[in-house]
Amino acid sequence: MKPAVLAVLLAALITLPLAESVFQIPIQVSDSLEAIVIGAKYPSSWSLLADSAQFSTTTFRPMRYEQTRWLLQAAASTSLTYNTVFRAVHVALTVMLVLLFLLAIRVRRWIDVAAFAVAFPVLIGIHTFVAMLQEAFPVNHFAEVGVCALAVFVLARQSPKWFFPAIVCVLLAFALSVIESGAMVWVVAICCAAAGMRGMTRSSVVAATVLLGIYLLVRHALDITSPGIGGHGSGFGGTFYSPEELTQRFGAHPLGFIAYNVAGGLASLLFSEPRQGVYSLAIAWKTGEPHAVLLINLVSSIATSALIAWYAVTHLRGSRAGWSDIDRMFVVACAVMVVNAALNAAYIKDEIISVGGLFYAVAAFIAIRGLLETIPQRRLVASALIALFLMTDAGLWTFRAAGLHYVLRYDAFKTRNDWVELLRPDKRDDWPTDPQELAITRRIRDEVILRSVASPSFMPRWADRYWVE
Amino acid sequence: MTGAERRNSGFGIRDSGLGIRAGVVGFLAALPCVVLAALSAWWFAGGLVGRGLWPPDDVTLAEAIATRNNAEALRLITIGADPNQPSRVRDGLLTSGYDVVIKPVEAAVGAQRADSLRMLLAYGAVVDERELRVLRCYEHTRRDSGVREILDLRAPGEPDCTGVRLPVDRVN
Repeated sequence: MKPAVLAVLLAALITLPLAESVFQIPIQVSDSLEAIVIGAKYPSSWSLLADSAQFSTTTFRPMRYEQTRWLLQAAASTSLTYNTVFRAVHVALTVMLVLLFLLAIRVRRWIDVAAFAVAFPVLIGIHTFVAMLQEAFPVNHFAEVGVCALAVFVLARQSPKWFFPAIVCVLLAFALSVIESGAMVWVVAICCAAAGMRGMTRSSVVAATVLLGIYLLVRHALDITSPGIGGHGSGFGGTFYSPEELTQRFGAHPLGFIAYNVAGGLASLLFSEPRQGVYSLAIAWKTGEPHAVLLINLVSSIATSALIAWYAVTHLRGSRAGWSDIDRMFVVACAVMVVNAALNAAYIKDEIISVGGLFYAVAAFIAIRGLLETIPQRRLVASALIALFLMTDAGLWTFRAAGLHYVLRYDAFKTRNDWVELLRPDKRDDWPTDPQELAITRRIRDEVILRSVASPSFMPRWADRYWVE
Repeated sequence: MTGAERRNSGFGIRDSGLGIRAGVVGFLAALPCVVLAALSAWWFAGGLVGRGLWPPDDVTLAEAIATRNNAEALRLITIGADPNQPSRVRDGLLTSGYDVVIKPVEAAVGAQRADSLRMLLAYGAVVDERELRVLRCYEHTRRDSGVREILDLRAPGEPDCTGVRLPVDRVN
C-alpha cells in the first residue's frame, strides 16, 4: 500500500461517521429559517440578488440567500426533503475540507503518513473545526470560506497556470459574497505570494486585490458598515458580556479591548483558550475546579504549539530564498493564523478563526514531520521521549476528535427540540400570517420532528466532563 | 519509492526512509489515529444497520418527556401516542433502582420541565382535578417554579397531599 493511499484510507474511515454526525443535525430555526423563507418567497433569483444588498446595514451576503434559493429549488426538483438537501451540502463541505487538507499537505512518504496521523485529529479536533460543523445559516458560510481558503492554498502549491488568477478570483468572490470572513481567501493568496509559493503569481495577487477593492467600494456605496464593539456579545477575562454591556464598558475607549480580542484570537488558536473571549482557566482558578475538558484542550494545544514554535526557530533562520517549499507552506500557515486573529477585533468567536484552525493543522503537520525527520540524528533515549511526547499529544487530539460525535449529537438534539416551540397549537397568534411562510415552516418542522436523533440522556454521562466546555 | 522505503522491520513496521527508529516513532505517533479510524469504521458499519455510535433510542412518550426530549415526544404524539396514557419510564431517569409506569404530564413534573408540561397540555393532555392534586403534590417533592406556575393557574394555593400517592411511588 502506498503512503498516500493509507492516508486517504485513514481520513475516509474517520470522516465517514463524522459526515453521518453532521448529517443528523437538523436545519436550525435560528439564522436558517429566516433565510430559507426569504429565499423561497422571492419571485426570481435576480430580484433576490438585487434586494439582498439592502437586507442589513452591517452585512453584505447576497449569496447567503441566493444559494438557499438554489437548494430549495434542488429539493423541489429532486423530491428530496429540505433537511436532506441542506444537510447533504454541509456534509459535502466537510468532506471537501478533509480532501483539501490532504491535497495541501501531500502525503508521499511513510513519515508523512505518521505526521498526517497526528495532524488530522488536530484538524478535526480543534474547537474551531466544530464551529464549521454546528451552525448553519442554513449553509455554513465559515465552512465555505474554509474550503475556498484551502483551495487557494492548494493552488499555490502547484506550478503556475494561466487560469489560476481566474480561479482565485472566483473563490474570493464567492467567499466574500457569503460572509465578511471571506476576506481570509485574499489573505491566504497574499501570504502565499509573500512566502514565495510558486503557484501564486503576481497576476493572481493583483486580480484578487482589485476584486477585494471592488467589494469594499460596493459596500461603501451601499452604506454597509462593519459591526463595531457592541455589535455582538463577547467575553473579557472570565465573563461573557452582552452587546450593551460591551458598549457601556469599552465603547468610549475601545483600543484595549481590541488588543485583547486580537491577542485572544491568536491565543485561542494556539492554546484553545479563551473561548468566545472568556478564559475558562480564569474561572477554574477562581473556583479551584478545572474541568477535564479544559485541561485536555490546553495540554494538547500547548504541546502542538510548542512543536510549531520549535519548527519555526529551527527551520526559518535564513532568508526567504533559503526556505524549502515546505518551509514556505509553514510560514503561510502561521501568517494566516496571525492575520485571522486580527479579524476578531470587535468580538471573539470560534467561527471567525476557523480558517486559522485549518492552517494550524497544516503547521502542525509540517512541524511533526520535521521532528520525525530528526530522529536518525538523535540518541535512543531522545527518540523514546519524542515517541512518548508525540503519542501523548496525538492521543489527546484523537480524544478531542472523537468527542466531535458527542458534541454534534448534542447539537442535533438541541436543534430538533427548538422546532417544538414553533407552530404550537396554543400559540396560534405567533404563527406566520403569510401562507407561503407558514407552509415552509410547517414542512421543515414536520421533517425535523420525524427525524429521531440520539438523546444525551442515553449517551455516557462522563462525556460532558471531557468533551463539552 | 526507494528501496529503503520498501523495507520492513521485524515488527512489520515499514522503514520511513529515515531508518527503522523513525519508523517506530512514527508508528507509535500514528497509533491513536489508527485506533480512531478502526473505531470509526465500526461505528459507521454499525450505523448502516441502525446500531452505530449512539443511535436514537426507542422511548415511550413518558420517557421522552423524562429525558427532556420534547421533539421525540411530539413525534410520538404525531404518530398516534396518547398523551394521557401512562407508559413505562426505565430505571435511572426519574427513579433509582426500579422502573415506573406514569403519565407523560407526571414525567414532566418529575423532570422539572415546564416547557414539556406546556407542550403536553397544548397537544391534548388532560389534567382533571384528581390528577392536578397528584401533580401539585409531586411538584412539592420536585420543586420547579415554572411547573408550579402552570399548576397554580389551575388551582392556586397549597395542595392537601394527605393520602396522595406520588407517581414514582407506584411500585410493588
